[in-house]
Amino acid sequence: MRQPIQQLIELYQNSLYAAAFNICQNQMDAEDVVQETFVQYYTSRKEFENEQHIRAWLLRVVINKAKNINRTFWKKNKCSLEDYMETLTFPDSQSRDLFEEVMKLPDKFRIVIHLFYYEDYSVREIADILKLSESNVKVRLSRGRALLKDSLKEEWEND
Amino acid sequence: MTNHEKYKKAFSVLQTSESSFREVETMARLQKRTKMKTAAAVIAGCIILGGTGTAYAANVGGIQRTIQLWLHGDQTTAALDVSDDGTYTLKYSDENGQLHESGGGGIAINADGTERPLTEEELMSEIDSPDVEYEDDGSVWVYYHNQSIDITDKFNDKGICFVKIADGDKTLYLTVKYQNGFSYSNEKYIEPEEFN
Repeated sequence: MRQPIQQLIELYQNSLYAAAFNICQNQMDAEDVVQETFVQYYTSRKEFENEQHIRAWLLRVVINKAKNINRTFWKKNKCSLEDYMETLTFPDSQSRDLFEEVMKLPDKFRIVIHLFYYEDYSVREIADILKLSESNVKVRLSRGRALLKDSLKEEWEND
Repeated sequence: MTNHEKYKKAFSVLQTSESSFREVETMARLQKRTKMKTAAAVIAGCIILGGTGTAYAANVGGIQRTIQLWLHGDQTTAALDVSDDGTYTLKYSDENGQLHESGGGGIAINADGTERPLTEEELMSEIDSPDVEYEDDGSVWVYYHNQSIDITDKFNDKGICFVKIADGDKTLYLTVKYQNGFSYSNEKYIEPEEFN
């Protein structure tokens, strides 16, 4: 099956942007990567099993493209995370703290934490999207959580 | 409030405007057009190359044989045409039955500076070499014989990846520059500055 591109943009633009930002930590790079991902979908003739398959594919593509852009020279020449954070309006200080602490996590923990808490994916589904083993995802999730608990104390539950 | 809820609340600040992606369809159409132009150019190139190859084989006696080719980790049968000018053409069908044609070859420079066409043995070695592919989903793979290795996350911050491939008694040391070629040796990793 295929879904019209406009529908996908409406449905997934924010979640793809959040995933891309989680890796790039940069607004312009993240927007470029999301745009390229939609173009990739549009030009690809790939057939999908269902909507969930499309969502998982888009996330996998956006994550890979974001990792790729992090390797390029251009990455190092744009506005800093701190500057961008000043432009964001957080609902409360706890949200700001959580956002900030997540951004400090090592890359490989950060994306696993994001797919688990933001996208509500299971360990098995994350393993499938990132092409990692389930045990590897579990380790990254557990270490990421421990680091968040360490820095956020009672603002982060033990789960 | 659960951690899931806290996390979603914190990251809800990351919003894009729909106008950011208004041009996706236009960009996609432009990219399609560019791809079609490239495809047309490649087809034209093949006709010229094919014509030359056929003439060469007819005039000086090219060698044709059936070989087993490793393609993305699967073994497939291919027809190999080797010409005396150091070039080859491979024809094979993929898993969907679609016919593909590819070619390669080149020259070697002798110690006295003169050039000579690659020998059949050298061409076979080129065909049997590892391959690095950049997939549509952004992942990067190394293919060698029946091995497929995902190296997407293995690049360092300079865009270099070192891959050791064990194949029976043989070990290959592969150095990959992200989207900028690769080199390999049976003895040690080639330094990135030594190629391209």
